[in-house]
Amino acid sequence: MSQVVTPHIQQRQKKAKHMVSLALLAGALAFSIWYVKFDLIEFISGIPLFLNFLFTDFLPPNFANMDSYLRPVLDTLIFAVVGTFISSALGLVIAFLMARNTAPHPAVRIVLRGIVSFVRNVPFLVWASLLVVIFGVGAMPGLFSLLVFGTCFLARVYAESIEELDKEATEALEASGATYGQIIKHAIIPQFMPGYFSWTLFMFEINIRASAILGLVGAGGIGSNLKQSLDLFQYSRASMIIVILIVLILAVEFLTQRIRERIL
Amino acid sequence: MQQQTSFQAYSPQQAQPGVQKTSGGKIRIGHRRTQRQTRLFFAAAAVLFLVCLSLLDLSWEQFRSGIAGLPDIMSKVMTISFHAFPALLDGMVTSLIIAFLTVVISVVISILLAFLIAENITPFKWAGRALRVVLLVIRTVPTTIWVLLAVASMGFGSMAGVLGLIFPTSSYLIKSFAAQIEESGDDNIEAMRAVGASWLQIVFKGLLPNLLLSFLAIISFRFEMEVAETVMLGMVGAGGIGVLLQDYISYYEFADLAMGIIIVFVTIFAVELISNRVRSRLARR
Repeated sequence: MSQVVTPHIQQRQKKAKHMVSLALLAGALAFSIWYVKFDLIEFISGIPLFLNFLFTDFLPPNFANMDSYLRPVLDTLIFAVVGTFISSALGLVIAFLMARNTAPHPAVRIVLRGIVSFVRNVPFLVWASLLVVIFGVGAMPGLFSLLVFGTCFLARVYAESIEELDKEATEALEASGATYGQIIKHAIIPQFMPGYFSWTLFMFEINIRASAILGLVGAGGIGSNLKQSLDLFQYSRASMIIVILIVLILAVEFLTQRIRERIL
Repeated sequence: MQQQTSFQAYSPQQAQPGVQKTSGGKIRIGHRRTQRQTRLFFAAAAVLFLVCLSLLDLSWEQFRSGIAGLPDIMSKVMTISFHAFPALLDGMVTSLIIAFLTVVISVVISILLAFLIAENITPFKWAGRALRVVLLVIRTVPTTIWVLLAVASMGFGSMAGVLGLIFPTSSYLIKSFAAQIEESGDDNIEAMRAVGASWLQIVFKGLLPNLLLSFLAIISFRFEMEVAETVMLGMVGAGGIGVLLQDYISYYEFADLAMGIIIVFVTIFAVELISNRVRSRLARR
């Protein structure tokens, strides 16, 4: 008897659960709309306005004075290269101190993990803007914020991929009496290399996007030109910068994809 | 360095053509091609780095004055004040709501469009392909720039934030949903076509129920990203806690800023934890 009833009750329970979660979703939506005074009609009427703005004010891009964009583009690329290079070196050191199977002492691991997670969980534009206050407007705060954020991001993902490695090689070397340095060199690094390459290349892509944004808070790169032209209502110039940015990002993505295919 | 084993000592060199001996008497065990490529990669990276470093004009003076001002700022940051706590909390809730509304609206748009794009179910192949290109362009423009454009068209406020975020969010969700649909296999679709189901029936009765869980996992992941994004967006004027943070930074109110950073950290950490929980529970089903 009970075997016949159970599926029925289960189905009912499932249905009730669905209803409850739908009701919760509706409640959350209602609360949100009330809290931020979200005007649906204004919002929907804003969409065509926005598209109109995009297609009439923005397009076509202004192709005049192309060479004035050269320096910002170069700056953006330089930021990304320098940022990625230094932060991959720093991140690697921190990752080895942080990963569970290579950490020299648990206390080091926990402290580093805390710091890294704190830096990573606060959006990097906040750090960038803070560094602009400390160092003044220019390339320096931009580069430093890329470094800080990149190092913490890479430390975390490197540490994760180090923790995922097979234990066999490490154990075998340990059994044969290898020192800590030898274990790292012969057991960890060869296995970790593919992960290292792909994460570093990914970081380079992130850095290109990030250094484009950095300019918005006054930290140099192509973003500062974009902000400037938007503030001055030079929309065709702004759209040219965005076009350049799209081309730049796609080119970099294509390039890293090719490198990835070659190396991995 | 290491003592030669008896095997190494007695083995004639010609018998093992694959093993090269180096001058140190060690046997090379690395894969030649991999090693060469690794070296090439690092050499290229180092050259690129040095070239870029020489092109970078950093002034030592700026660095020194920045470092000199650091202790002062740090001491101000350390006096964390609760004075701005209510305002910051309000800002954080607004940021969360912007993220929530964006995700809800984007999910509605994406579920409809994902079925148009997925190769195995799309009713119009050419439309799907065209849309793919548009989405690629939308995704390439950084999120912050979308919001900046929305702010330029709608004025400051949370609605501009939602409008600006919808574009990159939808484009991400459509792509991920479509990938899931394509992965779910053609068997279902073929079976339903064979019994004469219409396109709508295939989508809503055949595919959606199975895909719901994986869609939820994607949505929770995107929500996590979205919260971090909304905090940043406030800094360009799209409402939420970022506006306050930017104000505190530009008026040198570091005590309030420290409180704000702590609130942001705790919130994002909590969202990450919850969304990880949700995903691991979904994966277990």
